[in-house]
Amino acid sequence: MSLVALALRNVARNRRRSVLTGGVVVFGFAAIALSGGFMSQSFEGLRDGTIRNGTGHLQFADPAFFAGSEDAALEHGLSGSDRAIALLESDAEVEAVLPRIDFVGLATNGNRSVPFLGTGLDPGPEALTMDTAKLLVSGRWLGDANERGVVLGSGLARTLNVKAGDTITLLATTPEGVLNAVDATVTGLADIPIKELDERYLATTLGLASDLLVASGRVSKLAVVLREPADATATLPRLLQSLHRAGIDVAGKTWEELAVFYRQVRMLYVGIFGFMGLVLVVVVLLAAANTMMMAAAERTREIGTLRALGTRPSAIRRMFVAEGLILAAFGCLGGALLSLAIRAGLNHAGLTLPPPPGVSHGMPLHVNLYVTAYAAGAVAMTATLVVASWFPARRAARMPIIDALAHV
Amino acid sequence: METILDGRGLARTYWLGATPVKALDGVDITIGRFEFLVLQGPSGSGKTTLINLLGLLDRPDAGSLDLDGAPVAMLDENARADLRRDRFGFVFQSFNLVAVLTASENVEYPMMLKGVSREARRRRAAELLARVGLSEKADVRPDLLSGGQRQRVAIARALANEPEVILADEPTANLDTRTADDVLDLMSLINQERRVAFVLSSHDPRVVARAQRVLTLRDGRIAGTPSSP
Repeated sequence: MSLVALALRNVARNRRRSVLTGGVVVFGFAAIALSGGFMSQSFEGLRDGTIRNGTGHLQFADPAFFAGSEDAALEHGLSGSDRAIALLESDAEVEAVLPRIDFVGLATNGNRSVPFLGTGLDPGPEALTMDTAKLLVSGRWLGDANERGVVLGSGLARTLNVKAGDTITLLATTPEGVLNAVDATVTGLADIPIKELDERYLATTLGLASDLLVASGRVSKLAVVLREPADATATLPRLLQSLHRAGIDVAGKTWEELAVFYRQVRMLYVGIFGFMGLVLVVVVLLAAANTMMMAAAERTREIGTLRALGTRPSAIRRMFVAEGLILAAFGCLGGALLSLAIRAGLNHAGLTLPPPPGVSHGMPLHVNLYVTAYAAGAVAMTATLVVASWFPARRAARMPIIDALAHV
Repeated sequence: METILDGRGLARTYWLGATPVKALDGVDITIGRFEFLVLQGPSGSGKTTLINLLGLLDRPDAGSLDLDGAPVAMLDENARADLRRDRFGFVFQSFNLVAVLTASENVEYPMMLKGVSREARRRRAAELLARVGLSEKADVRPDLLSGGQRQRVAIARALANEPEVILADEPTANLDTRTADDVLDLMSLINQERRVAFVLSSHDPRVVARAQRVLTLRDGRIAGTPSSP
C-alpha cells in the first residue's frame, strides 16, 4: 500500500464520477488526436499539391526574378541554363530539374481574346514528376519540347470555345517590348483544381514559348523536384553552394517560401484548431476540477484524519495530483483507442470533403495517424488534470486539521 | 512519574462569527509517561480543545507545550506532522478509519508514512490486529465492521508506530455499553502492557472509573484553578 495505491482506490471509490470525468478526458484526447491527424493529412495534401502542381521542392532563378521586379517575361531570365540543369541533375537527391518560362499574353480564337498565364515547360520530365498531366480531361499532354501545342485550363478553353485539336493564336510581349504572335494547336484540356487558375491556365513547350518571346536559350527559372523523403530546407543551401561554386549566379527558394496559399491555409488551420483545442482544454479543466473539488469536499474529514496520523500537507497534495494523473492516464489510453477506432472508420468510409473556397474539387477525407497529435493530446489532458487537481489538493492540504476533523 | 508532556498557560479562543469563545483559558497540565489520564467535564468545557493541543493537531493562542522538555507548540507543520506520526497515536470518537483501506491497511498506514518496509508493516499490523482480537478481519473494509471492531482497528492503528502517548477523544461515545467496556479494558491493558500513556476525554463515568488520574475541565479551565484576568 502506498500513496499512489491509495489514490487509485480513491479514483475507484466513486466509479460513476470517475468514469464521467475519464470520459471527458477520452473525448478531449480523441478530439485533439483526430483533429491533429486531419490537419496533418490536410497539410500533407496541400504540400504535395503545391509541390506537384508545378512549384517543385526548390526553385532557382536570377535574384532579380524573386524580387518581383520583372516587367516583361524573361527580363531576368537565366541564360545558359543547361549548365545549371546538368549540375543540379548530378546531385543524388535531385529527382528532376524542370526548366520553366513564365509569361502572360492573350489567347485568341479569331473572334475572342482572353488573357492567360502561360508556362513554357519540358513536357517529358514534367509529366513524370508533376500532376498537371494527370489533370487532363480531354486530348493529350504535350509531346516533345518543341511541339507547337498548348494545354489549356478547361475554364479558359470554355471561354475561348475551343477543344482539343483546334488552333488558337497566342500573343505576348517579348523582353524587348515587341508584340509577337504564334499559332498553336490545342492538344488537351486540363481541369485545374483552383477555379481562377483554371480560367487562365496555359501550358506549352519551351520551344513554342521561346519562339513567342523571341528569347531562345533563356528560361525564367528552374523548378527542382527532390527524391522523397525530401528536406528542401536542408538541400537548398547545399545546391546553391554548388551552383555558386560553378560560377552560376542564381538565387533559390524552397516551396514553402513560394507557397503563400499553403502558408495562409496552415495559419488558418492552426488558428481554428488551436482555438478549438483551447476550448476543449477549458471544458475538460472545468469538468475535472468539479470532480476533484467534490472528491476533496467529500473526503474532508478523512483528509483531517490522514493529517492527524502524520501525513504531511505535501503528501496530501501529491495524493490528489496522483488521482488526477491516474484519471488522465486511463482517459488518454481510452482516448487513443477511441481515436484509432474512429480513424479506421472514417478512412474506410470513403467520405469526401466539400471543396474549399476557390477550389473546384472536394478532397477525400483521410485522417493520418499523427503521433505528435497523440503526444500533444496526452500532454494537454495530463496537464489539465494536474491543474484541476492541484487547487482542491492545495485547499485540502491547507485546511486546519481540527476543522477537517469536525467537518460533517 | 516522569513527565512526557508539559503544557503551561494553554489558551485557545475560537470565533463564532464575530464572537470570541474562550475554549481554553490558561490551562496548566502535565502528562506522565505511562499514565492513564482522563479529562472529564461537560460539553463545551474544553476537553477536545485540550486533546487537540496536546496532540499537536492545533496551536495554542498562548502558553507553551513541551514534549520531553522540548517546545513543540509552534513547530512548523511538517515537524508537527512527523511528531504526530512518530510519538502520538489517535483514537477518535467516530473511529475515522480510511474507508478504501482494509483493517490491515489502516493499521499499516502510519507505518507507511514512517517508511517501514512492506513486510515489516504487514507483520506488525497482523500482530496488532491479533492483539485487539481482529485477526480474522484483517482484509475487511471498515464499512463491514461493527462499531466496536472499528474502534479496535483504530486502537491498533494508534499503536502502529509504537507511540509514547495515545490521545482518545470520547472513544466510547459511539459504542454500546458492552462494547465500550471491552474497548476500555483493551486500552487499560495496552497501557499496562506496552507502557504507553493514554489521555482520554470523556464524561462517561465508566471511563473515569478506570483512570489513574482525572482532571476536570470547566469553562476552559482545570477545575479548582483560578481564572485568568
